[in-house]
Amino acid sequence: MNIGPIVRAMRHNRTRVVLIVLEIGMTLAIVTNCINVILAEREKMGQPSGFDDDNIVWMLERPFTAEFKDQTFLGNIIPADLRAIAAVPGVRAAGNTSFQLWEGGGSSTRVRALDQKRDPVGTQRYYGTQDVLEALGTRIAEGRGFTEEDFRGPQGEAAAGPVAVISKALADDLFPDGKALGKTIGETASADGALDEPVRVIGVLETFYNPWGIGGGEPNALGFRGMFRPGGVASYARGIPYLIRTEPGAMSSVIAEVEKRLAAANPGRTFEFKRTDEKKERWFAGSKIVVTTMSCIIVALVAVTTLGLLGLTSLAVAERTRQIGTRRALGATRGAILRHFLLENWLLTTAGLLLGVFGAYALNFLLVSRVSDVKMDWRLVVGGMVLLWVSGLLSTVPAALRAATVSPSIATRSV
Amino acid sequence: MLSYHLQNALRSLRRNPILTALLVGGIALGISVSTAFVALRHMYQQDFLPGKSHRVLFVRLDSWTTDHAFNPEDPDSVPDQLTYRDARALLRSPVPRHQTPTFITRMFVHPDPKVSRPYQPDVRLCFSDLFDIFGMPFRFGGPWSKEADAKPEQVIVIDDATNQKLFGGGNSVGRTVRLEDRDFRVVGVLAPWRPPLRLFELERNPAGPPEPMYIPFNFVEPLQISSSGNSAGWQGVPIRTFEEWLASESVWVQYWVELPDDAAAGAYSDWLRAYIQEQKKLGRFPRPIRFRITTIAEMVEELHLMPDGVKAMSVVSLLFLAVCSVNLVGILLGKFLARVPEVSVRRALGASRAQIFWQHVIECELIGVLGGALGVLASLGILHLLAQYMRNGEALRLDGEMLLISLFLSLVAGLVAGLYPAWRICSVPPAMQLKVQ
Repeated sequence: MNIGPIVRAMRHNRTRVVLIVLEIGMTLAIVTNCINVILAEREKMGQPSGFDDDNIVWMLERPFTAEFKDQTFLGNIIPADLRAIAAVPGVRAAGNTSFQLWEGGGSSTRVRALDQKRDPVGTQRYYGTQDVLEALGTRIAEGRGFTEEDFRGPQGEAAAGPVAVISKALADDLFPDGKALGKTIGETASADGALDEPVRVIGVLETFYNPWGIGGGEPNALGFRGMFRPGGVASYARGIPYLIRTEPGAMSSVIAEVEKRLAAANPGRTFEFKRTDEKKERWFAGSKIVVTTMSCIIVALVAVTTLGLLGLTSLAVAERTRQIGTRRALGATRGAILRHFLLENWLLTTAGLLLGVFGAYALNFLLVSRVSDVKMDWRLVVGGMVLLWVSGLLSTVPAALRAATVSPSIATRSV
Repeated sequence: MLSYHLQNALRSLRRNPILTALLVGGIALGISVSTAFVALRHMYQQDFLPGKSHRVLFVRLDSWTTDHAFNPEDPDSVPDQLTYRDARALLRSPVPRHQTPTFITRMFVHPDPKVSRPYQPDVRLCFSDLFDIFGMPFRFGGPWSKEADAKPEQVIVIDDATNQKLFGGGNSVGRTVRLEDRDFRVVGVLAPWRPPLRLFELERNPAGPPEPMYIPFNFVEPLQISSSGNSAGWQGVPIRTFEEWLASESVWVQYWVELPDDAAAGAYSDWLRAYIQEQKKLGRFPRPIRFRITTIAEMVEELHLMPDGVKAMSVVSLLFLAVCSVNLVGILLGKFLARVPEVSVRRALGASRAQIFWQHVIECELIGVLGGALGVLASLGILHLLAQYMRNGEALRLDGEMLLISLFLSLVAGLVAGLYPAWRICSVPPAMQLKVQ
């Protein structure tokens, strides 16, 4: 097929050429960037926390009677509550802890190994009772979780000195050689400052992720670093927080029964429950909006562009009916006419796609410099090109077929 | 002339309803998406306190340790809040028109047992200036007096929802709310008020609603109230008593000022600098003199409060609108060029090129405005959907400014779609077509 005449014919229809190239180009640029953003959000949403998210509920007891202002009373009510909770059918484990999953807030500090003079590493820090790791359903990669021994001391600490279970990410950052077990770490502000409350590492958690930061779900390093220490958490002002892990499907009945039994045991408090699955849904609400919106925009965009191309090619055929008739009269076959339009459109689509590749990276640069570092994946660009090649070609077919049916006698008529 | 063009445009639009629907629909589709997502972005970038946004400032002082900055990774960072003693001292400044230290705590409300079980809402402690600074609307009563601030008197301002819950929504001014073991007299009931951000305290839970209850700040000491919000410290000495807590270098109080005019910012900076210098003599403020007085808009920027996705979506939605209008160029070109004989006759009868041009541009703008109106209506649906997924969705709405932006976008979209077709049609020579006829 001869490309020369097609290109020369285009010169007489510059508007159409420019419009098609522009439409295809813009669509490719936007579609690939939308998919890119969708993939990034998906990845964020798929980040495992390492905990049995679907079956954990957080409960906050808020006391309002004076007896809860007494430290001894507070110390005694935690084990009593834990026993009552454990007795509820459907409860797998429960712990009193300052840890809240998928919250973004919490407590943070900086820690350093005792025998190393390095800058301290930021980490989240939480306290919990003996069964807290069981209540989280987390897997321990090395060492062990808390045992009764760890709570024997007068302040509820381990008799053999305070201990901690840390996340793998924190262990790797503190001890690049991979040997964290048994080492002593402590909170400090600087590379050579004294260690505040040094603790011995007794266990390393396989996975730990609790997004850290305000509002968004951006995974940052602090989100993967965590440290659990033995200890109860209770005060009159801030209440008494628990994490309860249930058997699958037992969540609702457990919540109702726990509230009933605890309120019966001591009515001087209110209970607030937050299911982790609902919290997670709220946490990712923004990502969900982005994914849904971007998906809808992609569909609408491809539809609008396809319709636009359909219109333009129909116009092109309608405008050139007489020329087509003349060519047919001069001996061109139907196939030749069909090929002419398909090839013409293929050329324009390809030119548009080249512009689009450029635009895709330009827009990505614009979005990246504003948004987080979501780099454009070249496979996406190729995928988008194939998609638009196909839709570009398909949108030409009806008009091209119509062109092929133009009869040679049209050339002899004056319209 | 305009009404003549408009009539012509309307007639032309009526002539081919399907084509018109396609054109108007195309613009409407683009406008609905772009309006919704620009509105989402606008929610974070609007003028939060109209008329005085630049005069209402959040105050922070660098009272941190020499060992490291507040954020060890950022040497320029300053503590996000003030120490209690600095908050008290700042009240002495004569420069601001209004000023208040503020923080939240949790207190048990003991309602009439017939109404509800005890519950523990967030309670904000503040001076009555807070209500003025943030322009909070009252349904009944108003802020408490300066005397109530000073004493302090057991007075309380409650929000509309609390008034519904405790008092059935009537005028409850003069009635009492039992907080912990004291009765507080209601002096004001807020009208429903839900700014998109929790303006008082942007560092924490920024998308949350304002607190339901407000009591005088000076209850901190007599009732030994501590913050239920964030606190941070660096001293590393154990704090045993409430007095030691108040005197410590822990930061947990937010501080807001409203300056009388733009010139006062300089005077206030000088005052703060002098204050830090004076404190340095007492051995405090060991770091170089550093403080920040920032507007809400600057805080929104600094704290990165607008979710990243919002920016991306607003850019993409505007590009989507652009594609929609570019797509209409082809259709309009076809529509206009079909009218060549008619235009040619009109040109021969004396219509100028400019007249033809304007007639068609106005037709396009009419399409733009019609599509825009339809699009804005559709965007209400999109916003409604979005709001359900957002904590601050209640505050997501189209304000006057947003409507103007949408109108502007529709006009631009109409112009993008129609400028070239209108130019093509107005360059039709008058005589040519007559010859053929």
